[in-house]
Amino acid sequence: MKVENKSNQTNPFLPEPARIVRAYHLTQDVKFFQVRLVDMEKALSFRYRPGQFAMISVLGAGEAPFSISSTPSRPGLLEFCIRKVGTVTNALFRLKENSLIGLRGPYGNGFPIEAMEGKDVLIVVGGLGAAPLRSVLLYCLDNRDQFRRVIVLYGSKRPAEMIFREEYFDLKKRSDLECHLAVDADDTGTWTENIGVVTTLFPKVKEVDPANTYALVCGPPVMYKFVIKELIKLNIPKHQILMTLERRMKCGVGKCGHCAIDYIYTCLDGPVFTYWDVLHMRELI
Amino acid sequence: MGKIKIGIYELTGCAGDALLILDCESQLLDIFQAADIEAFLMAKSDNSHGPVDVALVEGSVTTEEEKEELLAIRDRAEIVIAIGNCACEGGIQAALTASENWSKEFRQVYQDLKLTNVKPIPSQPIDAFIKVDYYLPGCPIGQEQFLTTFTRLLAGHPPELYRFPVCMECKWRENDCLLNKNLACLGPLTKGGCGAVCPSHNLPCIGCWGPAEEANRSAEFKLLLEKGFDLESIKRRMAIYAGTTIVDFFNQLKKEKS
Amino acid sequence: MRILKLKRQNLFPFLQAISNGAELWGPIKKDNQTIFNFVPTEEIAKLNLNFTRTLLPPKKLFVPPSFIMFQVTNKGYQEDYSWIKERVLFGLHPCDLHGLLNLDRIFAQNFPDSYYVQARQKTLLLGLSCWPDDYCLCQSTHTDIIEEGFDLFFTDLEDYYLVWIGSSKGDDLIRLKPEFFEEGLNEKDIESYIKWRERRAQAFKTKINFVFMPDLMELKYNSPLWEKAGAACLACGSCSMVCPTCNCYNVRDEISLGNKPGRRVREWDSCTLLEYSLVAGGENFREKKSSRLKLWYTHKLQAFGSKFGKPSCVGCGRCLVTCPVGINVKSISDSLEGQKVDAFWVRFSEEVRP
Repeated sequence: MKVENKSNQTNPFLPEPARIVRAYHLTQDVKFFQVRLVDMEKALSFRYRPGQFAMISVLGAGEAPFSISSTPSRPGLLEFCIRKVGTVTNALFRLKENSLIGLRGPYGNGFPIEAMEGKDVLIVVGGLGAAPLRSVLLYCLDNRDQFRRVIVLYGSKRPAEMIFREEYFDLKKRSDLECHLAVDADDTGTWTENIGVVTTLFPKVKEVDPANTYALVCGPPVMYKFVIKELIKLNIPKHQILMTLERRMKCGVGKCGHCAIDYIYTCLDGPVFTYWDVLHMRELI
Repeated sequence: MGKIKIGIYELTGCAGDALLILDCESQLLDIFQAADIEAFLMAKSDNSHGPVDVALVEGSVTTEEEKEELLAIRDRAEIVIAIGNCACEGGIQAALTASENWSKEFRQVYQDLKLTNVKPIPSQPIDAFIKVDYYLPGCPIGQEQFLTTFTRLLAGHPPELYRFPVCMECKWRENDCLLNKNLACLGPLTKGGCGAVCPSHNLPCIGCWGPAEEANRSAEFKLLLEKGFDLESIKRRMAIYAGTTIVDFFNQLKKEKS
Repeated sequence: MRILKLKRQNLFPFLQAISNGAELWGPIKKDNQTIFNFVPTEEIAKLNLNFTRTLLPPKKLFVPPSFIMFQVTNKGYQEDYSWIKERVLFGLHPCDLHGLLNLDRIFAQNFPDSYYVQARQKTLLLGLSCWPDDYCLCQSTHTDIIEEGFDLFFTDLEDYYLVWIGSSKGDDLIRLKPEFFEEGLNEKDIESYIKWRERRAQAFKTKINFVFMPDLMELKYNSPLWEKAGAACLACGSCSMVCPTCNCYNVRDEISLGNKPGRRVREWDSCTLLEYSLVAGGENFREKKSSRLKLWYTHKLQAFGSKFGKPSCVGCGRCLVTCPVGINVKSISDSLEGQKVDAFWVRFSEEVRP
């Protein structure tokens, strides 16, 4: 038997103890978690790429995959935006700051940062899609000189559901970044930005250089079809349209099979796929 | 945080599920230590009607009075769990409901007997009247599933129930498929978690854990017909533990026939 | 490869000799049943040399149907390898050895699964030649012969066995009882082996057009045959349980009463079950049985994992003898090829939608 060992961990399923440093609500059902591995050496040497994910365990409740929302350019702390949807997330929501959880990773392919260098980056976010895309956005901002234009289009249902709302309003003030926000409906009466779905923001993006643009998309499944249509209209090549997908996972390392799509595994070959992959694999979205 | 409050209630059934909980001998002390058992008719006499965190309800609803009792339980319970086939599906006593002749058959049994203390109604699973949070299937329920559910609830986590049919565990126990040996095994139609005890002893499954999530009745029905079983015997076998869920299937069969 | 001869009557004494200090597992007939299973035994005479296939494939020794991965306490997760023992597994037919090689690609590479790897490393694999029955498809899947992946392989040439030594550990076993073995094959031995191969090759009655399947899977992705098979599928998961290359599993956390540790449990799962692709929040990526069957057959007949390219079916015939409604590699392959198939699921679909 040929055993190929790429990871340093002997047991790839063993959760590493980690502590919740901060936890607060972003919206009613989305919470922000700052987490640090208890072993400081491991915490500082935890290398990952924007777009990768980690498996988080809550003792007794179970384990689930979560995309990392922080950027590797700010090492030490890992951040997650988590929506309360199931057993593990419900248990996580109840945990107070300083609680211990289990964490292992990073897993998945992540965004092709090297290929994106020197190019324009167009980030299209819907709702909680902001969680994985925040990583790549912060990375671009921390390494601003490595990328050309950085454009962010962010749509959410209502103002209250727009996570990191203040962060994005701050971004609007920056001159080295184009940031356009939209809500489907404004129930506050104070919304000053666009009203409509995220695709209504596309006219605001001027003079796109399609061959040199990477479009990064993440949002609810219904969003992809419409957003991709716009991106194709802009002539952005299919293999430069990147999206990050969600599947059920029990291992994160290509063993349990749950995230299989045709003959690939989301956890190994994804979660970042190109639009070409989507056309090619059929089952993706 | 105080101890979790639990009530165990019995409607119409054989009390086998309550008995099974009492039968968790080696764990019983731990159970009583971990939770305040507010009501458990089989185990204690001082039963309260106060609020509980978790209500375990056994048995089906067969009288108006039970319906009222059940509604009251729902009102005072945070989480309601149906335990056992009667509560989950209506039980054997609900197999009659499929015949649509409930009142006629009722008269056949009880003649013109005047019931003064109860108003009987066709047997129904408890979710016909109230919202049920979780289901612990089985006739009786499985001890293992009860204990894992209990401990998860104590920790504040929803139970992780088995969501596969009997065949999975049957294969784990390395049994030859009884359907393939031309026995009327209901394994593929039945919720797993029992450990496939019957097929492991060469006895075809009779479906006592109730219909599986995705029970493909029409395929198994045709398969058994093809294997030479007669229509009525297959229908009877499928109906025993399927409770009210079988009615739609029988109606569909009727439609196909005509 | 070193090849020796072992007289027929010396096989059991040899197995006896090597099972000191290790648990001997082999094919044994189940009481009152017509099936065989790999089970541990101290009574070597109970081993059956003429079985065609066991009900469960040997994967159960390396990934048991249900086992505890971690003991869980307030301090965290403690690995539990207590089920892993030194074992000798005898009676592996070529298809099963190929099946294990396929599982190695999933479990022993790219974040190697430490449970699988340890169990594999502690188990010696002793292969045994076989004779096909009506359900064996291994000739079509090119897995009827095995050249690697075993410690020893015994080819039954009636009076004696040719013993192929596949590993250094296998060679060590021979050294425990060198007096049983004969070095050097003569012309006659080679001749009888060639004859045996020829006769065996002729004995396969059932065939599928395996090499054509990846293309057909692609071309017939939207074929109505999937809806038909889906309509009859009992979603019982048996096909996955008995398949030597099905690797999927589920993980559950169990909590104990009192102060005892909890457990993280790993259990076999099947992509043909409804819950398989359900994500938190309730979205199910494969609600239809037809799409689940398609995934199952993609792995068996088209490709298995992005890095390996080739499909995983090893032609053991277990799905043929197991699926109560006749959905199996043979009937699906034949249907994909456009052949008229005699299977319950085909008859059922004709009744349901004439």
